[in-house]
Amino acid sequence: MQKLLLAVDKFSTVIGQAFSWLIVVLTLLITWEVFSRYALDNPHPWAFDVMSMLYGSVFMMAGAYTLSKNGHVRGDVLYGFFPPRLQAGLDLALYILFFIPGVVAMAWAGYNFAAESWAINEHSNITANGPPVYPFKTIIPIAGTILLAQGLVEIVRCIVCLQQGAWPSRGQDVEEVDVEKLKEMVHVKDEDIAQLGALQPAAAGHKK
Amino acid sequence: MRKEVWFGLSIMAAVVLAAFVLLPAPSQMTNGHLGLLMLALVVVAIMLGFPTAFTLMGMGMVFAWIAYRSQNPGLAVQQTLDLMVQRTYSVMSNDVLISIPLFVFMGYLIERANLIEKLFKSMHLATARVPGSLAVATIITCAIFATATGIVGAVVTLMGLLALPAMLRAGYSVQLSAGAITAGGCLGILIPPSVMLIVYGATAGVSVVKLYAGAFFPGIMLASLYVVYVVVVAKLKPHLAPPMSAEDRRVPLPEFAQIVASTVSERVLPGLIGAIKGKRNSAVPLRSLLNHLGIAVLPALSVALIMGMVYFKVTAPLVEEASEGVVAMGAAATGVPEEEEKSVSGLAEPEEAGDLKLPPGAADTKAEAASEPSAASTQATPAEPVKAVATEPAAKAVAEPAAVPQRVPPPMSFWVALASCAVALAIFYAYFSFARLEIFKMLLGSFFPLAVMILAVLGTIVFGLATPTEAAAMGSMGGLLLAAAYRRLNMTVMRESVYLTAKTSAMVCWLFVGSSIFSAAFALLGGQELINQWVLSLNMTPVQFMILAQVVIFLLGWPLEWTEIIVIFMPIFIPLLPHFGIDPLFFGLLVALNLQTAFLSPPVAMAAFYLKGVSPPHVTLNQIFAGMLPFMAIQVLAIFLLYQFPAIGLWLPQMLYK
Repeated sequence: MQKLLLAVDKFSTVIGQAFSWLIVVLTLLITWEVFSRYALDNPHPWAFDVMSMLYGSVFMMAGAYTLSKNGHVRGDVLYGFFPPRLQAGLDLALYILFFIPGVVAMAWAGYNFAAESWAINEHSNITANGPPVYPFKTIIPIAGTILLAQGLVEIVRCIVCLQQGAWPSRGQDVEEVDVEKLKEMVHVKDEDIAQLGALQPAAAGHKK
Repeated sequence: MRKEVWFGLSIMAAVVLAAFVLLPAPSQMTNGHLGLLMLALVVVAIMLGFPTAFTLMGMGMVFAWIAYRSQNPGLAVQQTLDLMVQRTYSVMSNDVLISIPLFVFMGYLIERANLIEKLFKSMHLATARVPGSLAVATIITCAIFATATGIVGAVVTLMGLLALPAMLRAGYSVQLSAGAITAGGCLGILIPPSVMLIVYGATAGVSVVKLYAGAFFPGIMLASLYVVYVVVVAKLKPHLAPPMSAEDRRVPLPEFAQIVASTVSERVLPGLIGAIKGKRNSAVPLRSLLNHLGIAVLPALSVALIMGMVYFKVTAPLVEEASEGVVAMGAAATGVPEEEEKSVSGLAEPEEAGDLKLPPGAADTKAEAASEPSAASTQATPAEPVKAVATEPAAKAVAEPAAVPQRVPPPMSFWVALASCAVALAIFYAYFSFARLEIFKMLLGSFFPLAVMILAVLGTIVFGLATPTEAAAMGSMGGLLLAAAYRRLNMTVMRESVYLTAKTSAMVCWLFVGSSIFSAAFALLGGQELINQWVLSLNMTPVQFMILAQVVIFLLGWPLEWTEIIVIFMPIFIPLLPHFGIDPLFFGLLVALNLQTAFLSPPVAMAAFYLKGVSPPHVTLNQIFAGMLPFMAIQVLAIFLLYQFPAIGLWLPQMLYK
């Protein structure tokens, strides 16, 4: 079971990470476009559309990746203090109540939306001869489906947690605030911090 | 159970109770009441801890379906599906939100360029003589680093590792140290380029450019209020922040500098020149002497360069000059580095341009003040009088009748400014010892690259040279170059930054997808009208409304995060603003300041938890909270100041975008 969970995690992660490289493409593209416009006096009319497509693809396709790493913002005023079983129970209920209907509806509606766009061979109308829009619109059902798969995995996780009383493990990934890495970066060791504790009582006594 | 749980549960109970009391019985419920019920439910659901984006999406879908069904049951499902996909697509092709991944990417890159250690050390030495210097240096470092990266957690953690031990070792009180770190680390949310302002701009339909221009001075004001508070505390209660011993203050000099300082002269210029002549010092390598001489004359060179440029601009034929005046005024106001000024030439601002002559002094003193922080910080005096002198003639300057084809003679104010710059430089060099040269070198390696980058990104946005998206992309490019310049750009750093950016952007943008479906449902149900009617029926004055709105946002800041507050509740407040004649831009600035307090309000302030995670065991969470309280009070004071003097925020956008 755990293997299957991690396999789907892996899948979402690989897709999300692959698409996240589009950020570098986006950076380079805009930098080049700015240079081309100001220095070479040669703006490209398609640049604007392509920019928004890159951005849209990045965040849509990274949705499942973010979910698999538990990265979507939660109101954790209470949640963080709950025991794991209660967390899992709440999550399970809300996944079924909100997540599944919402994402299914989005993927389904997105499928029709994209199909229509393919049918009329839709091109962007922001500029004349805009680039085709249908591949971009196809992102919605694809991202929705992957997100749904990831959501099902999360539901299984909740059930496992309800049975075992502890959250099953997740795949490793880079963290925004990775204390160990930051410590290493600024050359601070645990001993230094501990030493500080030894030093403090004297200073505290002096203060009072 | 723990008190946090009780706290959360009581808020939840209060919301449910309020919903029960305020809403009519189910039999008399209209759609509008359903909308209000939805709002109450969503607050409760968010507090249950489910990912907010999907809570909003699911709930929005259900209520949108209810709303459509009450109109036309047959079409309800199709309409709901259409609404969802339309809303999703509009977020995907939103031209404001594109900047988010780019700014986030820039932030991660800069964070990983690992400038913070150098920055803190050099700031610390540069402010050595100020009372509470370590705390002051902490706040300045935080402000700059947080502005460039925008990542509260990482900044607080890093400063907790660097500054907290330093301050505790120097005998600072735990509270003051913790307060300075947490308050400083949160400044990045407010000072542009910040993601929060983009999110607000996208939600409220306010131009991000104006928000950036508007938030600049309030952000600086808040940072300066923090600094002032720390200095006052250190002055009044020295035992909380003991001054540094002369030993700590001493800057280790390189060998050659010691030789030169002891044999030739303490001061840099005479010392180096004397040594280069080589009569007394053949032991010192010429190369390092020349290198240092080059660094030492940098301030003078940059002043000369700017002055030359200004001279060139002032004396240029009048047509160009007219537009130049305004630009330079703006440049002076924001302290945009010289690169900006050089490239600004086409920004037409006809009304102002008519009666303004180029005030070179203003532009210059700023640039100069920026270029010699070692002098300005240790000797606050030299820069001050110059500013006064320079701005006065600038203000007096009147347009000269011209349209002369050849060069116009520069106005008097130019010469006054030039003279005052020369005097300032002379004073600067008179005090420019080898120790200060070392500090200057350190600042050159840490402070200036960041400051120039932030100001360049902001400058291009604010002066209309580039859209926020383009400036954000250039910022990311700058982050890449910066990381490369500090030898930190490798595949690991790149990969981590890219992945983190994808996750953060997905988090924010999916929240947008959810909230736009949610707010569509809210509008469909007519909840907005009900709130409008209710608020208008209260017959509040604009002031009362403002206070009410800010109090509500302040209270929401306890249980919710700023992203949630902005995307869910701003759409409710914004339509009310026109009734009271309040500028959404001004409201946004107040909200941005207000949400700062959300980061520092116990018991859920995340900054405190980040700091606790890296502090020595004897530092308790309560001490950190206690340290944050005075800074929270300062934030409230800042909101009050901004409210009393809206010009703090509105002056710059009004001047630039009339």
